[in-house]
Order: sequence, then C-alpha cells, then structure tokens
Amino acid sequence: MPTAAAALELQTLLDATVDAIIIIDQHGLIERFNKAAERLFGYPEHEIVGKNVSLLMGDEHRAHHDSYLRNYQATGSAKIIGTGREIEALRRDGSTFPAALSVGEIPSLQNPRFVGVIHDISIRRATMAALRQERDRAQLYLDTTEVLLVAIDTNGLIVLVNRKGCEVLGFAEAELIGRDWFEQVIPLQDRAAARAQFQAATDSTTPSYSERPVRTRHGDTRLIAWRTTVVRSSESKTLSFLSSGEDITEQRFTETQLRARESHLRAAQHIAHLGNYEYHCASGTAHWSDEMFHILGRDLGEGPASYDLFCLNYLHSDDRDGYAQEWQRILSGQPTGDFEFRIIRPNGGVRYVHLLAQTARNPSDGGLVITGTLHDVTERSLAASNAQQMQEKLAHVGRLSTMGEMATGLAHELNQPLTAIATYAQAALRLMTQADTEEDVKEALKQITAQSLRAGEVIRHLRSFVKTHVAKTEPTDLNQLVQDLRVLAEADARANTIRLVLRLEDHLPSVQADTVQIQQVLLNLFRNAIDATERGSGDSREITITTRSVDDKVEVAVIDHGSGIPTEIAANIFSPFFTTKTEGTGLGLAISNSIIRAHNGILGFRQTPGGGTTFHLTLPTLAGDDNER
Amino acid sequence: MKDKAPTVFLVDDDDAVRTSIRLLLRSVGLPVETFSSAQEFLDNVDGDRLGCLVLDIRMPNMSGLELQQRLNDLHHIIPVIFITGHGDIPMAVEAMQHGAVDFIQKPFRDQDLIDRINQGLEKDRINRDDLKQRDGIRERINDLTPREREVLDLVAKGKANKVIAGDLNVSQRTVEIHRARVMEKMGASSLAHLVRMVIEANRV
Repeated sequence: MPTAAAALELQTLLDATVDAIIIIDQHGLIERFNKAAERLFGYPEHEIVGKNVSLLMGDEHRAHHDSYLRNYQATGSAKIIGTGREIEALRRDGSTFPAALSVGEIPSLQNPRFVGVIHDISIRRATMAALRQERDRAQLYLDTTEVLLVAIDTNGLIVLVNRKGCEVLGFAEAELIGRDWFEQVIPLQDRAAARAQFQAATDSTTPSYSERPVRTRHGDTRLIAWRTTVVRSSESKTLSFLSSGEDITEQRFTETQLRARESHLRAAQHIAHLGNYEYHCASGTAHWSDEMFHILGRDLGEGPASYDLFCLNYLHSDDRDGYAQEWQRILSGQPTGDFEFRIIRPNGGVRYVHLLAQTARNPSDGGLVITGTLHDVTERSLAASNAQQMQEKLAHVGRLSTMGEMATGLAHELNQPLTAIATYAQAALRLMTQADTEEDVKEALKQITAQSLRAGEVIRHLRSFVKTHVAKTEPTDLNQLVQDLRVLAEADARANTIRLVLRLEDHLPSVQADTVQIQQVLLNLFRNAIDATERGSGDSREITITTRSVDDKVEVAVIDHGSGIPTEIAANIFSPFFTTKTEGTGLGLAISNSIIRAHNGILGFRQTPGGGTTFHLTLPTLAGDDNER
Repeated sequence: MKDKAPTVFLVDDDDAVRTSIRLLLRSVGLPVETFSSAQEFLDNVDGDRLGCLVLDIRMPNMSGLELQQRLNDLHHIIPVIFITGHGDIPMAVEAMQHGAVDFIQKPFRDQDLIDRINQGLEKDRINRDDLKQRDGIRERINDLTPREREVLDLVAKGKANKVIAGDLNVSQRTVEIHRARVMEKMGASSLAHLVRMVIEANRV
C-alpha cells in the first residue's frame, strides 16, 4: 500500500509529465487522468474518472478495445504491453488526433490495472507527410526529366538512377542499384579512362563535362554527354558523384554525317575543279566554297574579293571588258549567266574558267542574290587547242606516211626497168647463138639502153623526193611528244582492244629533234607492236611506251608482248623492202632507222622479258651535245 | 583450136618487161601471146587451149591475184606462174595457196623463168590428161545399169560378194555376174584398177 508521501510523489510525477497518462481498471474504467491528459483530450479529471476509456478513442479502436480487455482477462496475454501502438484519439470536442499509446500493467490478483501513456504525434505525422510529399515530388522530377540522372558512391556503386537512365541503359532500376557503374555500363575499352576521370573529379569543385559511351543491356553503344558534380559532406568529405547525362548519339551521328557530306562535297568540288559562290548584291557580301579559292589560287583566309577587286586582281586583262558586260547583263535582270573567261593566279598562272550564274531575290530584304559555279576548264581548253595542233601535225604525218607508199612505188618503178634490162640481155645472149637474129639482138640492146635511162630517171626522182624532207629540228621534250602521240596511238590500240600504258620518267632532258619525224618513227614502232600483239598468243594485250634518260641520252622504248622476232629474220629487220606482213611495204623500219640515224641516234630492239619485242630509240640530249662541243 | 601447140600467155602492164620476156621466150622457141592487162586476157581466154599463164602480180585495175581468182571461179585449169616484185612475198604466198604453180621474183635469171614455164606446160598436159581420163571414167560409169552401179559402189568400198548379196538381197551368183559385167564395161584390168577409177571419178 502506498504511503501518503508516495501518493504525493506519484501525483506530482503524473502532473509534471508532458505525455498524457491514464490509469484504468480491469474493466476499462478510468481511475486517474493527469494534467497533460486533461490538456490533450479537453476533459477535466473529475468529469472523466469512472468513464470507460473507450470514450477517448476513435471509432475503430473503440470497437476493438473491449475485446482486447476481455481477451487479456481470459488468456492473461496482452499484445499491447511493452510494445505500444499508434491510435486515433478522440477529444472532448469530437476532434481526433494521431497518438502513440504505450500500455503498462499494474499487477494485482484481485484488481489488476493498466496505465496508458499517450503522446500526440500529429506534428510528427504532418512532418512525415510533408517529407513524403517532397520525396515523391523529387522522384517525379527525377522520373519525368529527359535527362539521365545517376549517382554513384566513392566505390563506384550506383546509388541512384532515374527512369530516363534506366530507359537509355535498358536495365531495370533493381539491376543497377548497388552495382558497379563502370562494370555494368561502361564499355571495356573506355573503363579505365572513365574511372580516372571520376578520380580526377574528386578534387574538383566545379561540375565537369565529358562525353562517354555507355553500353546498354541490348549491347548498343550510346554516346552520353555527362555533367558530373561531387556531393560532399559538411566536412568536405566526398560522398558521391551525381551525374546528369544527355543521350547525344543521334545528334553526334547527324553531325558526323553532315561533316562527311560537307567533306564529300568539298572533295567532289576539288576533283571537278568546280567551286560555288553566292553573292548578295545589296550588301556586297559573298560566300565562296573552298574550291573557289583553289581555282583562283588564293589562300582560304583571303576572303571573297569585292567586285572591283575581283575584276582588277583576278581577271585576265583581256577578259575584263567581256566579264563586266556579262555581269552587267545579270545585274540588269537577265536571270542566268553562262560565260567563259580567263583568270590570273597570284603566281602568274593563267586558268580558263567557266562561270554559271543564277539570280534570285533574297526573301528577307528583296535584294538580288547571284548564286552559281566556277569551273576550271583549263585542261579541257588546252586539250581542245592541243587537238587542233594535233590535227595539223596529223596532216603532216599523213603526208609523211605517203612517203612510205611512194617509196614502195618507186622501188617497183626501179624494179621494172631492171627486170626488162636483165631479160633483154639474157634474150640477146641466147639469140646471138642463133642464126638470123641480128635485128632482134639490136632491138634488145636498144631496149637495154632505154631501160637503163628509165632506171636513172627513177633514182633521180627518189633523190629529189628525199631532198624535200630536210629535217627541221628543235629542242624537244620527248615526254610531251609521246603524250601528243597518245591520241593517235590510243585510237589504234582501242580498235585492236589493246591497252596502251605510258611510263614516262620525270624531268627528262630535251633532245634536238624533228618532232614530226620522231612521231612518225614512234607511230611506226607502235603499229608494229600492235601487229606483233595480234600475232602473239594474245595473253597480254598491252603495249607500254617508256621514256628514261641514260647517261647523256634519252631512250624511248615501245614494249610489246607479242609474237617476237625470229632470230633468222632479226638480221634483216632494218633492210628496205623487208617485211613479214601481208600489207607491209618493208620500208617502215628502214625509214625509221634512217630518220633516227639522221638524228645521231640509234634504233634497236631487244627481247621483252617474258616474250615479245622492245624497240628502243636513243637520242643524244641537248646538254650532251653541248658537252661534246 | 585444140590442135594448137601449147602457148605461154603473158600478162604484164609494163611494156618493157612484157616485150623483153616475149623476146626471151621466142629465143627459146616457145609460142607466146602477150596481154597488157588482166581484163584483156579475160576477154580473150579460151579454156580449151593448152599452155600456161605468166602473170605479173602487181597491176593497176585488176591485179594478178584477182585474175587468178576469176579464172578459178570460171573453172579454168590453166597453170599460173606469178612474177612478183621484191616486197610481194606475202602476195605470192597467197597466190600459191590459191593454186599457183610457182612464182618468180623480178629481176630473174632467164633459165629460172624458162624452167618454171616448162613445168607449167607439163602440169597443164597432165591436168588435161587426167581430166580426159576422168571424163572417160565418168561416161563409162553412166553407162552402167542402176543395179551394176550399186554393185560397183559396194565393191569399191571393199565388200565381199557374199556381203554385197546380203545387202542387195540377191544371190551371191547374181552379184558375181553383175561384177563381171562392171569390170568389162569399165575396162578394168583388176580390182585395184577399178577402185582407182572410182576414186578418180569422184575427184572434183
């Protein structure tokens, strides 16, 4: 039994406690109700004592309370003792509040009682709800943002990844959280670099930017642009790394494609020697593609020149007026322009260019915009004039090639009187042994005289023919000569489905030569090579013309892989009227040989390694001549 | 015409060459007829006349080669000897391929030309004999009855009487009688002679 002092002590204790304390008997009737309980529930103690404690409970708890008590009385077990639970408490004014209830038993055989301590947890509840809401909102933000968010701890383990991160990486969140970031998604070859970067970021105070590939669950590689911030504790200890990333794979791909396309266009323009420009007349500004600068022989940095400067510094002086006229026509309304002119490069080189222009109105200011292309057609123009020169030379060569036919004719002419002379002489010899043949013999001798004179006439004719062909020599680049010949030779080669290959040595010394005669020789050698190829096995249908300098001479060789020259005829090959061809005159090589000898050169032949014949002519170089003098 | 002596027909466009050769051939007693162009010879040619043709290979308008081709087309069998220039070897080869007897290069030794001409004339004689003989054989074959011709063909193929009897579905005795008649009509002295005549007759 408590003493009076003990009772006072208990009363003081109960009243001083901030939590509500309620003591009930075994039937649930309230015996004690402390000051905090009065404040909390709004009942004065005298009013509530003797009432059932369920009066203080929300509907749900009230319904169960009596059964709790009965259960305790029947079984002696109280679930609540020592554990406490959260309940809904009911104030006198009918309002409810969340409360934490802990219950203790005051044991007694006849009259066991219970003490309940009640703590108002409505503020805690509200705070938690607010926190939960805040957390949900953050999660929502994390999940709705189109940016990958990943946090990894100092060991590289993933502590956070948002929905977008999971989506891009192709993993479920559970497959990422707690895993090593580098092992899981960074491609093997990039792993060391990625780790090193995070290591370096530890000391950084500003967010770092990096572009790194990640490997998705499906095995794709995506390129991500990351911004990484270091999260530190209040003691500046690194806690984790928070990275936000953007998938730039498509963007980068598009950029790469654009760049590639641009570089293709540049290359195409370069190959075609075709530049394009855009000129805004109102502002006088222009854009030039790189190739424009190349064609004009300018550095890229020089920038498009103004119209006046262009006319003055870029145009060939002879073409300025024509250019100005054409340009004026465009400015005064002609919708397109198409003209050729010459430009002068800073190094003095002259280029032939073809300009196309097209006019349009600038949609923003209505000003005239001229766009178009500039095409370097120098090679074509030169080829055209070369072709013309070649044409003239051809006529010359044509005249010369009749020389061969004429020589054949002359040989025939010479052979006729010789035959007649020999035959008359032999007939006369026979007749002289017979009777009454004096008249016949006399006639024969007269004829012999006449035919001898006829032969002399033929020879005079031949000599005068040769005399008209005194060589006109000039310093000659044999490479150029071969190049010029190419047009003719290629036509022949194509007609015979033979490939012509030129292998010309650079920086060949010049020779003193009659170009037409040397071309005649080379053409003759080339045609022989074609015939030899036709007669050959047909395995290698290729003829090569080479040039090279040997000591103080230049050699041109015509190499075929044809039938070759049998040794039994090799000795006769340069003899006049010697031929193995049905259509041959037997003069080609003989004339060629005499032409080369007249040039102080040598015409020879050797076997092509692997079969066929190589004809080669060597001519002394100009320098060599000078040395001799 | 057939009675005329074998003649050398000479075609050359060069007067001097033509005349000198004519003089040479006359000096050895060979009858010569000359023509200054291929066409002139073609216009006057007589296929029944004996002789040989000496032909310049290189002539304006119709060349010697062309004339040779025309004569071949007309089935003239006259032997041809070509006269060629120095550079005409390939043409000469072609001429030989088309049946020329020989060729000779200008200028030539007189004996060479005369030898070739004599060979040409001999060749013509043999050709004509062969032709005559062949014509005779063909006439005799045409005189055989159809059955006798069947027997002749089979005998020429080397078949025995017994086999021929089987092929023709007659008795062996009948074959023997036909065969004796064929030998008699053909004037064959032996089986080998008969076979040679059949081969000769089939020659074009």
